[in-house]
Amino acid sequence: MIGIVAINTFREAIRDRVLYNLVFFALLMISAALLVGQISLGIERLVIINLGLTSISVFGLVMAVFLGVGLIHKEMDKRTLYALLSKPIRRWEFLVGKFAGLALTLAVNTIFMTLGLAVALVAVGRRFEKSDVSILAAVYFILLSLGLVTGIALFFSSFSTPMLSTLFTLSIYMAGLFAADIRAFGGMTESRAAVRVTSLCSYLLPNFRNFNVMAAVAHGRGVPWHLVVENTAYAGLYLLAILLGASLIFGHRELK
Amino acid sequence: MTEAVSAQRMKTWLGAAVIALVLLGIYPLQMRIDAELKPVQQEKEELVLRSPRLLHALSLGYESFVADIYWTRVVQYYGGKRRDHDANFVLLDSLLNITTVLDPHLLVAYKFGGIFLAQKAPQGAARPDLAVKLLYHGIAANPEEWRLWADLGFIYYWDMHDYKKAAEAYLQGSRLAGAAIWMKPMAAQLAAEGGSRQVSVFLWSEIYSTATNELIRKNALGHLQALKAEEDAEHLDRVIADFKERFGRLPNSLEELVSVGLLPGVPVDPAGFAYVLGAGGKAVVDATSPVNSEMMKPSPLPGPNH
Repeated sequence: MIGIVAINTFREAIRDRVLYNLVFFALLMISAALLVGQISLGIERLVIINLGLTSISVFGLVMAVFLGVGLIHKEMDKRTLYALLSKPIRRWEFLVGKFAGLALTLAVNTIFMTLGLAVALVAVGRRFEKSDVSILAAVYFILLSLGLVTGIALFFSSFSTPMLSTLFTLSIYMAGLFAADIRAFGGMTESRAAVRVTSLCSYLLPNFRNFNVMAAVAHGRGVPWHLVVENTAYAGLYLLAILLGASLIFGHRELK
Repeated sequence: MTEAVSAQRMKTWLGAAVIALVLLGIYPLQMRIDAELKPVQQEKEELVLRSPRLLHALSLGYESFVADIYWTRVVQYYGGKRRDHDANFVLLDSLLNITTVLDPHLLVAYKFGGIFLAQKAPQGAARPDLAVKLLYHGIAANPEEWRLWADLGFIYYWDMHDYKKAAEAYLQGSRLAGAAIWMKPMAAQLAAEGGSRQVSVFLWSEIYSTATNELIRKNALGHLQALKAEEDAEHLDRVIADFKERFGRLPNSLEELVSVGLLPGVPVDPAGFAYVLGAGGKAVVDATSPVNSEMMKPSPLPGPNH
């Protein structure tokens, strides 16, 4: 059942014009990188990788948030949710299916954008090297972070309106970017309570900095495989908690 | 019906327990990721946007809020460097410039910058020239603020040992409305006699009692303690000279001065650590004491490498 919901969500997203526009813009950004590369003497590779990875991340983020918050609401609005839930499908299966569908959409889009980046790199006359595997690691990390954002969007949309869910998701994303700073800020105070509170907040927030290796990759530095494993485990655990929470809330929700 | 309700409740509690367990599992994982990420994310210190004017334009009318963010960044940058015992404050000047261009009336930034740009390593960037430049920028933007003149005079006095310019700065500030009454006598004293420990103690005490920023206050307290230790050490050196005159040799320790009745007890520094007899028979601060005698030495003047 999860698979059916996921495939339908994927198909629906692919049919969505906004999605195509975003992909178009992402490819446009990467094309722009070629122009920037032409005028950035000696740092073409750096500029193209930076701009390419940034585009993939930003456009993916926009997709994850705006499509993620509408996943449940759209079904309720069109009243298809009631028909769907009258079938032998549990609410948590519906949620997980929706999540998987959007994650698949994001993955496919990210793959296309990565191909665009690869084309851009080839266009500036660059051969692929062994160290380029780390670019794939960076893309994989972006995908993990997009998965987390989708999960958070889905969590909020399980009990809130799309507008508020967007606000909450973006707020959590922003706070998650500063998770390490929050902890460091507490460490600078002499108050034990402040240290504990900031530490707790920073560990509870999804730490999106974990997934940012763009600068290192652009400079040709490798990404340790332990980090790939640990970030995968981190995203997996976090998603498990979020989807479980969303399922509990959605399971208790009165659907009228 | 009741069984279904309790089963539902059970599921909810079980779900909540699993969520709590998963979140607990994230904690050690995050620690491992932090350790892995440190070398990967270690980048050369740089500011992507160095132009305060460009940032001003990009702030879209929210300059003062962006300035507050940059001010927080200044404090975090400085505090982080001190915590990590890193004396390379390469970005401090740029961050302060951005902050003060975005909000020229953020007085604490000038005071902070004046002190920590000028002070020598490891407390500061050892760039009194940049501190002076920052303060002149502050004075131009806030011509009514006598405190900025006082801060400028202090840098000339303490870090640059230019008593003439220090006296001029204090005199200029003393002419502004609301200036502290000590500004004019300070100008006169510096012009006539130059520096003294008494003047230093007064100026550091003034900074300590008026600063609102905790880092500035701590720094001022450190200097006051160091000045007190310097005074104590001079007193002890005179007692050691007395001992040498009486016994024809240097004492083996400060305790020996106590045993012959020259001291009632071994004195302690402002942090409570006993002074010790250093090389050459001079009384010094214990190496483990937090009182830092290095604080008494002025910053080196900027050289061609800066």
